[in-house]
Amino acid sequence: MKSLTPDVMVTSLGQVGGILAVIVVAVVVLELILYFLLKKILHYRYALPFMLIAPGLVGLILLNVYPIAYELYIAFSNMNLLRFRNPSHSLAIGWENLKSVFTAPVLKQQYFFPVFLRTMLWTGIQVFFHVSLGLFLAILLNRPMKLRGLYRTLLVVPWALPQVVASLAWRGEFNFEYGFLNVMLTRIGLQAIQWKSNPFWNFTAMNITNIWLGVPFMAVILLGGLQSLSKSYYEAAEMDGARPWKQFSSITLPLIKPIMTPAIVLGVIWTFNNFNVPFFINENNLETSDILVTALFRAAFDFNRYGFSAMFAMVIFLILFGITIVYMKAVSFSPSALAGSKARETLTVGEEK
Amino acid sequence: MKKWVCVFLALAVLAGGLFAKGGVEAPKGPVKIALWTQEGESEGSFQFVKKLADAYTALYPNITFDVLNKETEALRQDFLAASLAGSAPDLVLTVNDHAGPFSVADVIQPVDSLFDLKLYLPSAAAIGSKTWGVPVSSGNHLMLLFNKDMVKTAPKDTDELISVGKTLTTGGKYAIVWNQTEPFWLVPWLGGFGGSVFDKDGVTPTLNTKAMVDTLQFLYDLKSKYAITPKEADYATMDTLFKEGKSAMLINGDWSLGDYSKALGDKLGIAPIPMVSATKKWPAPYTSGKYFMIPKSVTGDTLKAVVAFINFYTNYENQIDMAKTLSRLPALRKATADEYVKNNPVLRGSTSQLVLGTPMPAALEMRCNWDAMKPELNAVLAGTKSAADAAKAMQDAAVACLKTIQ
Repeated sequence: MKSLTPDVMVTSLGQVGGILAVIVVAVVVLELILYFLLKKILHYRYALPFMLIAPGLVGLILLNVYPIAYELYIAFSNMNLLRFRNPSHSLAIGWENLKSVFTAPVLKQQYFFPVFLRTMLWTGIQVFFHVSLGLFLAILLNRPMKLRGLYRTLLVVPWALPQVVASLAWRGEFNFEYGFLNVMLTRIGLQAIQWKSNPFWNFTAMNITNIWLGVPFMAVILLGGLQSLSKSYYEAAEMDGARPWKQFSSITLPLIKPIMTPAIVLGVIWTFNNFNVPFFINENNLETSDILVTALFRAAFDFNRYGFSAMFAMVIFLILFGITIVYMKAVSFSPSALAGSKARETLTVGEEK
Repeated sequence: MKKWVCVFLALAVLAGGLFAKGGVEAPKGPVKIALWTQEGESEGSFQFVKKLADAYTALYPNITFDVLNKETEALRQDFLAASLAGSAPDLVLTVNDHAGPFSVADVIQPVDSLFDLKLYLPSAAAIGSKTWGVPVSSGNHLMLLFNKDMVKTAPKDTDELISVGKTLTTGGKYAIVWNQTEPFWLVPWLGGFGGSVFDKDGVTPTLNTKAMVDTLQFLYDLKSKYAITPKEADYATMDTLFKEGKSAMLINGDWSLGDYSKALGDKLGIAPIPMVSATKKWPAPYTSGKYFMIPKSVTGDTLKAVVAFINFYTNYENQIDMAKTLSRLPALRKATADEYVKNNPVLRGSTSQLVLGTPMPAALEMRCNWDAMKPELNAVLAGTKSAADAAKAMQDAAVACLKTIQ
């Protein structure tokens, strides 16, 4: 491997610098156009706000809106390797793609619904462990103790690691011959586990990795929520004779709900769409370990079914959108709830809003 | 040292007839060639590509390279995506079977009119009447490698492999290791059991056959019944086990010979994969080689520079250098007749397997076969599916796949 010499660094910076220079020039040109158009010619009152949000808006259009629109365009095409350059587009083709998502294998053997159910199971397991273990750790760390700062720092280490790096490191630990887990198991007289080829154990390996990765995020968020709760609630509860479990269920949980709900919604979306862990841990490409997004990737880039995959992606998007709406309705969550919770935090027992 | 190597190579180019028939003179203006390759660093082959790219830049300072390594499947996926996005590299150095998807997707150009292909051994990147790649090496085939300290001679057939294997598998050591995750390692045995992945037409899958069932059962038995191979082994695991002396034998490709020669020295033995005792047939690994493929978008001065560089890369001197450095068999006819190539024991061993191999199909339909075989091979080895069920599932998946690429 080439070492990081000054020459290499200069070359690398030059390559990045070129792109940055293009972006800077484009932003300057955009701002000048907006300035002359909105300020000088139209004398528009909100010229400055428009100028401030314009670069971000353009970035959003280029990086989000355009790819999604293009995805939708491909979803109504028969694009595959044979029709890579010049695919046909029509509503009928889109309909066929949509039907295929539900009636034909999305991988080599697996159909949509088994993969969908596995994704739901994966998401359910993950969110359950993230929330329960995260809350447990948050409550532990919310008490006075020595070296609390150190524990909190150590807690966020898995979260701070790049997910791909962590996944690949864990994959090494699941190696049959050299992995830490099998070495430990054999040392204590148990059989080594086939983590990579056995469907059950491979799915378990995925879950272990993602629990390790995901708990710190939830713990940090919930710890922040717990720290914002006024102690006076607990003092009053103790005076009324409430036991710890009662305090937890009647004070802690309801009060951190506004913090927990968006964290769970995010957790559901991120886990449902988690690509890195299922993809990298599943080294043997077991279809029994694929969730929707990894199946989508394989359909598109392993099997080159581009039109089908684009429609498949749209279906996944709609599912996720639906789950989020239903969950937010179920817990009566709205963004304004967060603002409301902040207002409540300033109140103490006996005060009125 | 590097400078002298460059000077030597530069002189070698001039002496070796860089501008032989089919060659194109390098352009005078500045050209930067983005080269993607699946040649890996761990085998030293990526470094070899870089060395020749640097040598060419030393010869023609106006032509520079940006060499990027990508894992084989990642290269296929990324090259297709980059071609669609209009940002394909200028040159690709990869395995022959990528010619199938790349040519069908219309993202590479034929090389018949750009090179004198008669100078090379017959191409495994020819599809129909067109040739889609310039060969760099011959082979890319699997063979049996063994550690002479652990087993004196290679077993001749599978019966001997199993009987010897049982004595070798002891104390945390295994008799034989192979990459259980890739169907590329299944194909030689399929040939040994008398099967083939395609019918005679070269495009109709024939995966649900007795030969496939026997092959899958044999591989499962090696692991479970005879227990002479690890329960799980990917490429990195088999490589490490062999290098650490924890496996007496290994099935791996010619790309790894240079690396194992360095690691084991004289202890490295090379032989054909043992004959299948039940059929008395030799396993037939796929043979192909590494190929330069030129993206369709490459034109003008860049095309001239690319063609000139390929001629340089595959000239006589560099082919011999490749044989010495990487222990790979050359693709240039003239180089195959070289005394070193004919007499080197490692290359001789590689040749003994090569002659038993079968050309790897480059047709797009092969993609369906690979994708169909992989999950079923895994299922059989994991013990979650019988060999017969897996063979049927393979065939169904391959046939279904063919419909999706119509």
